[in-house]
Amino acid sequence: MRLAELRVLVLRSQGTNCDAETAHSIRETGAGAEVVHVNKLLRGRRSLEEFHALVLPGGFSYGDRIRSGAVLAKLLASRLRRELQSFVEEGKPVLGICNGFQVLIETGLLPFGEVGEPMLALAKNASARFEARWVHLLRGAATPFTEKLPRVSRMPVANAEGRVVLPLGREQRLLEELEENNQIPLRYCSPQGALAHGEYPLNPSGSFADIAAIATPEGNVMGMMPHPERAFHRYMYPDWTRNGAQGKGDGYRIFQGMLEYAAGRL
Amino acid sequence: MVPLREASDEELAEISERRQLALNLEEMRAIQRYYRRLGREPTDVELETFAQTWSEHCVHKTFKGVISYEGEEIDGLLRSTIARVTRELSPEWCFSVFEDNAGIVDFEGDYAIAFKVETHNHPSAIEPFGGAATGVGGVIRDVLGVWGEPIANTDVLCFGPLDYPYEKLPRDVKHPRFIFTYVVAGIGSYGNNIGVPTVNGAIYFDEGYVGNPLVYCGTLGIVKKSKYKRSARPGDVLLLVGGRTGRDGIHGVTFASSELEEGAEETFGTAVQIGDPIEEEKIKRAILQVREEELGSAITDLGGGGLSSAVGEQAHRFGCGARVHLERVPLKYAGMKPWEIWISESQERMLLIVPPSNLERVLEIFAGEEVEATPIGELIPEPRLEVYYRGEKVAELDMDFLFSGLPRVKREARWSPPELEEPEFEMRDLGEELHRLLAMPNIASKEEVIRTYDHEVKAMTVLKPLQGVAWDGPGDAAVLKPLRNSWRGIAVSCGMNPLYGKIDPYWMAASAIDEAIRNNIAVGGRRIALLDNFCWGNPEKPENLGGLVRAAKACYDIALAYGTPFISGKDSLYNESPLGAVTPSLLISALGIVEDVRRAVSMDFKERGNYIYLLGETKPELGGSHYYKLRGFLGTSVPGVEPSRARRTFEALTRAIDLGLVKACHDLSEGGLGVALAEMCFSGGVGAELCLEAVPVSQEMRADFILFSESNSRFLVEVEPENAGQFEALMKHVRFARVGETSGGELVVSYRGEELLREDIGELKRSWQRGVAL
Amino acid sequence: MKWEVRIAYKRGVQDPEGETTLQALKMLGFEKVERVSTAKLFIIEGECSREEVERMCRRLLANPVSQDYEIRRLAD
Repeated sequence: MRLAELRVLVLRSQGTNCDAETAHSIRETGAGAEVVHVNKLLRGRRSLEEFHALVLPGGFSYGDRIRSGAVLAKLLASRLRRELQSFVEEGKPVLGICNGFQVLIETGLLPFGEVGEPMLALAKNASARFEARWVHLLRGAATPFTEKLPRVSRMPVANAEGRVVLPLGREQRLLEELEENNQIPLRYCSPQGALAHGEYPLNPSGSFADIAAIATPEGNVMGMMPHPERAFHRYMYPDWTRNGAQGKGDGYRIFQGMLEYAAGRL
Repeated sequence: MVPLREASDEELAEISERRQLALNLEEMRAIQRYYRRLGREPTDVELETFAQTWSEHCVHKTFKGVISYEGEEIDGLLRSTIARVTRELSPEWCFSVFEDNAGIVDFEGDYAIAFKVETHNHPSAIEPFGGAATGVGGVIRDVLGVWGEPIANTDVLCFGPLDYPYEKLPRDVKHPRFIFTYVVAGIGSYGNNIGVPTVNGAIYFDEGYVGNPLVYCGTLGIVKKSKYKRSARPGDVLLLVGGRTGRDGIHGVTFASSELEEGAEETFGTAVQIGDPIEEEKIKRAILQVREEELGSAITDLGGGGLSSAVGEQAHRFGCGARVHLERVPLKYAGMKPWEIWISESQERMLLIVPPSNLERVLEIFAGEEVEATPIGELIPEPRLEVYYRGEKVAELDMDFLFSGLPRVKREARWSPPELEEPEFEMRDLGEELHRLLAMPNIASKEEVIRTYDHEVKAMTVLKPLQGVAWDGPGDAAVLKPLRNSWRGIAVSCGMNPLYGKIDPYWMAASAIDEAIRNNIAVGGRRIALLDNFCWGNPEKPENLGGLVRAAKACYDIALAYGTPFISGKDSLYNESPLGAVTPSLLISALGIVEDVRRAVSMDFKERGNYIYLLGETKPELGGSHYYKLRGFLGTSVPGVEPSRARRTFEALTRAIDLGLVKACHDLSEGGLGVALAEMCFSGGVGAELCLEAVPVSQEMRADFILFSESNSRFLVEVEPENAGQFEALMKHVRFARVGETSGGELVVSYRGEELLREDIGELKRSWQRGVAL
Repeated sequence: MKWEVRIAYKRGVQDPEGETTLQALKMLGFEKVERVSTAKLFIIEGECSREEVERMCRRLLANPVSQDYEIRRLAD
């Protein structure tokens, strides 16, 4: 299938606020994108099946009340469970950005691709603050989303709840499992590519094991805290006045990887 | 019914006081005469309508009244100063000025940019989180109220010193540290949640803000001129959309038009609210859809005075009347009285006016976004405001009297220069002085604050508030790229100099305009439009008003000379607390056009071996400077502005930027040359060598004065040696000089062969970053 | 019926707001404070059984990885 024939669903709910630029990034990468309100899916007016890929953009779905992403996640997990599960099992790509990452964790889809009880949490940043800053990301496990990235890439984060927490007492075991399954595609690092080791602000949230993104073992579902749509062009970089405004940024690679994968399997 | 016709003057005053109407005796008398003519008594709803519509907050009595000042009779201060600049310049690119909720200027093709700045001072003094958050929410609604899509926020905050002694605080005054923390949290929370980036701002600290902090909130938005609908007519439906109506914010307007006294918390407790950005996000989506389909005939936000102001003003604007049924207004809880519903200031509500044939589709759009939308009445041909509650008429007012019956305010203004003198003191080690200056709270890095604001959501922020090699340098202005398919951008900047106002408000205002403009020019902005926001003490005190008049006169003189029209403004008077009047403060915000965002210039030095030029003349102007303040002085030599010379500098610099000759550019402001140079060095990770004797000065000056003078209209520019000839040729009508070169890791300043200062740029940065912790 | 549901970070999961508050209190001279934890409180009214409220906690109100919940019946 050609990229241009792909139809990507950018799902919004009340409080989503990065849908426009995310949809635009997809279109600029060459695929079709449509922003659809979750109510249309819940009321059966639209269906997940119409689409080749799903993106959950950033924002504050339902005002992040209760917990970031929790309300949207529970709505999806209880009312669209079957559709969502089969979408994932068919191997269609699902990308959660920031709040979308939080949603994917709360649906249970991350880390093992099963809708159900969450096995991870994204908790308040260690700084107890909202953090808007650019970070360096070290490419780890290969996924369709990240395979086009350079070893060290740059994108901004902007969140208050971005700290990955693993179940107490089982952190090391689960971490090893995630590593063995190639489920940690991006980690916070220094400009030179050395792991942040929790050091602030390289790892801006205090995320466990510097985890910035998590994917399923199959690799077609990924959640990431950084915002690729804000690093799509070089002129969006915080230091482009030093290094040039021309060309695509690292964020573009994320969309390119996702869409080429989606096109290739159809 | 309220018995008014037979009331004595004392009783009139007592009625105004008891009902919190904040109407003065003359206004009460005018109302009394009106009812004597009608031969009946007013209802409570009617009295409240007068109180709201005639409040200082809604009608700006002082700025529109008659002021006698030094033998001169000023007939409308706004009309004869600020609005006059725009009238005399009347640029064809001004789409809507001073008549809407926001000023609107052309951008590209059908697209225009709306900009509005508001203040939310009193609520922020009492409940800083909610006060600041609803300030952001309110100004975003101002932009929605011109059919604009909000794309960026600005905020300028003024607090008392963070180390202010607790024991000096009067009862009921919250500590500056507390107010600072929660104001910042409130602004971040609302802007981040609604998804509008906070891209520009400033924070000032001064003792004069201890009792009365200032919270300026601005919003920019994109307007489509072809979809800017202002065509309501009788028969059109009044549609109330958004959150439910409660007792919140009742008498917020009269609260804003009063001084903050002890016990204000109890009296006006209901005036403060928390705000719900998610509700406003949904409203925004629905309104933009209504705009796209061109279904509305008018729109306005519900701000001060709630329905009473919004309905009346809209009907007045379209030369008709209105009929409203208050029982249709969805309420948060039962038991509200009709007048409470009528003047409630509950947040996240707007008023749309919709032709009946479009109503069904509009209701469908709002339902699709899960927003309540309720028809509450209609416009009528008769020039009357009729309000009903459960079938009973609770108000009937003549529109003409409501909007032109307000007796014009006459006020006295006086100003005499304060008794100050120029200090005498010895120069100390300049390296140490520079470190201290960089750590002064007004100069120090605000990075910790900026990082709690999402400044990149929408992916339009091309030049960010933090710049340079480590993404932490203090940018002069933000540059946005509002349209996907155009390289054209906007530059957003501000200027404010409260310290200068303590010497002379005229030069404070002139300097604020100069600063806002030069910040804009420095990044590549041009065709600049200005916004004014005055925060002043009680204007009924002639000496307060005298300073205000001086500042407004400077606005006229300087903005006219610069060719920069004012497009919107707002005044917040009565900023008084048990500690006295607020430090008189004028914020100037500037909106410029950047032809191609890829040519925007940041302030960080780019590499070693480049030339450093200083544009503009340095004068012994240290009155109100941070260097004097550091040494414990105020002084008298406040910086002046020479518009014709400055304009030549601005124009030459813009040409140099357009030709790509400028590698870095930074304006000189608080802390003068020394601070600006240090900031360029540590932001770029590049040192500099500066020869002070090369600096163009107006007269022989001490080395420390050259280094720290705050003369206006100056820039530091980095130019590659191979472009020096071309750059210097462009500057031939400008006072300028090559003052040094970029170099290694140190900032070195020498004067006539003697080294005055040699500092490691990393150390300078550390001092600068230590200044203000969140 | 009226239920109070308290959601707090599990012991062992870092509570940054609690820590920040602790530091701030110490800075203000409350030196005896040793630990501050934050929690979120929900009051749930309606004819629900304790089991139902527990299900609410597991399904929505708490993330079991990082949070504990406590349910208490309040006087009507």
